[in-house]
Amino acid sequence: MYRNLSIRQKQIVWAWAFLVVPVIFYSVIRFYPTGNAILISFQDWNLLGKRTWTGLDNYIKLWNDPVFWKVFKNTFVYLLLGTPVSLVISFLIAYHLDKLRFMHGFLRMLYFLPFMTSAVAMAWVWRWFYQPVPIGLFNNILASVGIPQISFLNSTTNALPAVLAPAIWAGLGFQIIIFMAGLRAIPRSYYEAAHIDGVSTWTVLWEITLPLLKPTIVFIVVFSSIGFLRIFDHVFNMTTNNPGGPLNATKPLVLMIYESAFTNFDMGYAAAQTVVLFLILLVVSLLQLRILRDS
Amino acid sequence: MANLALRSLVQTYGKVTVLHGIDLEIEDGEFVVLVGPSGCGKSTTLRLIAGLEEATSGFIEIGGRVVNNLEPKERDIAMVFQNYAIYPHMTVRKNIGFGLRSSPLSRPEKDKRIEDVAALLDMTDLLGRKPSQLSGGQRQRVAIGRAMVRDPAVFLFDEPLSNLDAQLRTQMRLEIKKLHQRVGTTIVFVTHDQVEAMTMADRIVIMKDGFIQQVGTPSEVYHRPANTFVATFIGAPAMNMVTGAVADGGVRLDTGQQVPIGAELDDGRRVILGVRPDDLHLDSGAPVLSGSVTVREPLGPETLIYVHVEGAGEITAKADGRLPPDVGQVVHLGARPEDMHLFDAESGEAL
Repeated sequence: MYRNLSIRQKQIVWAWAFLVVPVIFYSVIRFYPTGNAILISFQDWNLLGKRTWTGLDNYIKLWNDPVFWKVFKNTFVYLLLGTPVSLVISFLIAYHLDKLRFMHGFLRMLYFLPFMTSAVAMAWVWRWFYQPVPIGLFNNILASVGIPQISFLNSTTNALPAVLAPAIWAGLGFQIIIFMAGLRAIPRSYYEAAHIDGVSTWTVLWEITLPLLKPTIVFIVVFSSIGFLRIFDHVFNMTTNNPGGPLNATKPLVLMIYESAFTNFDMGYAAAQTVVLFLILLVVSLLQLRILRDS
Repeated sequence: MANLALRSLVQTYGKVTVLHGIDLEIEDGEFVVLVGPSGCGKSTTLRLIAGLEEATSGFIEIGGRVVNNLEPKERDIAMVFQNYAIYPHMTVRKNIGFGLRSSPLSRPEKDKRIEDVAALLDMTDLLGRKPSQLSGGQRQRVAIGRAMVRDPAVFLFDEPLSNLDAQLRTQMRLEIKKLHQRVGTTIVFVTHDQVEAMTMADRIVIMKDGFIQQVGTPSEVYHRPANTFVATFIGAPAMNMVTGAVADGGVRLDTGQQVPIGAELDDGRRVILGVRPDDLHLDSGAPVLSGSVTVREPLGPETLIYVHVEGAGEITAKADGRLPPDVGQVVHLGARPEDMHLFDAESGEAL
């Protein structure tokens, strides 16, 4: 039967032969649970008992929950602080690393190392850095030069940036690699032509390098935004005694979902939060793609 | 406008010497083509003139002043790159204007310059377009426009036609030559294509392995090649080379044929006899070589024939386009003595 097919039909048969495994995988592991989560968000369920239909109750509860609004705000602070800061730092490092020949490979490896390290181990090391004297590294340094102690993780204002810092640091390696690939893709003659025209380094950066890096920047912005919107392990591990604390100051949406689901066993409520997170991710990504691609 | 001089220019990268002391004088308004196979140092020479690289030793003079330690923008040069180096995110107007970014001219003056150059290159209605909306030839013109707008003393072209298809290349070749006749600026043009070199240059500089092999007008390098490298590099198909020795006031080829060429050289000296395919004729002139035809390549007005000659290998000759000899046919090829070139067998230098 296969013999009688046209070349095009044979190609289709082969394409589907390879596609069938990922299609089944995604249907069972991704799409089915996604659909199910949307369904559960309209139900009441404690993981063991019966599912009962409650309509929009979970969403109404969410709307009226002050903790949700605090968490919602936190999530956006992670996003609006983390994405630009990590973008600028990683670009600056990549831009200069690209010009450096001496120990280039070694330095690149050093920057990439945190990306490969387990977030849990890293969070615990940073948590130790942040402790008060005589344990914490940072406060010891401050004390040795006579600066008063800073309570990093115990202050409602300092805790979120303190948790965000290692998260930014962990993602830098990846962003640097992507930026360097983007920088390498710009033909050398563009810079040489500008050099002959005698324009300043600043002009070259703003009018040649950055515009030509736009596809790379779009990718990194979208990718890191999704990462910061889904931040969880750094927060959870650096505030284990009181996850998301102090006073929910560091709690992101994913942590709230986790607590609703596996501490309070309120699956319907957790699912409703998940749907909200999904919508946020969708809207933010689409917005970024549109803004950065068109202009 | 300015003349240009290179004095004992040497360039090394680590242990590799790319240029071994280049000496060259280029007159004001001259169109000079640097030609040679890849790795001969022609592009390096151009980049040194441009100031994109720093010479290991030697001097570069533009308009009588040594520019070795000057930044490219202070050298009063402009360069056209092989891949054009026009910015994809800028319009043609901005691309051409980019060459004026560091110029002290006022805004209206700059606009006028851009428009003048666009008019000269016949691109006025393309000024608002992005490079992606242009054809290969138009992009090439934008690159030239960007160089012209600065009104430099010397134009440098780095293989600017290599990315164009054959037809467009011929057309752009002509356009660049016309442009040179109109603006009269000194041009240094790098190419690996000997046809480009022959057709465009006032003078050709033939390079190989970091040495200049010969400098001369197209006619000089074609008719009086300085050595076997120049003889085979210039002209297509390449010159035939047959080894032999001086004997009895002529040359006895290794094929056994005695060629009556007026060589006043010591008997027994090993030489190479060179004859261009165009100068080898069937059954006319002094007989030089005989053999059987192995391949014919009809070109229309004439047919290239490849002749296997015992003791000399494959010899190329041109035959009449209408009545070429058959494959397998034995032919006798002759040439006029004045069309034959003698080279020393060891050094390859012309005798």
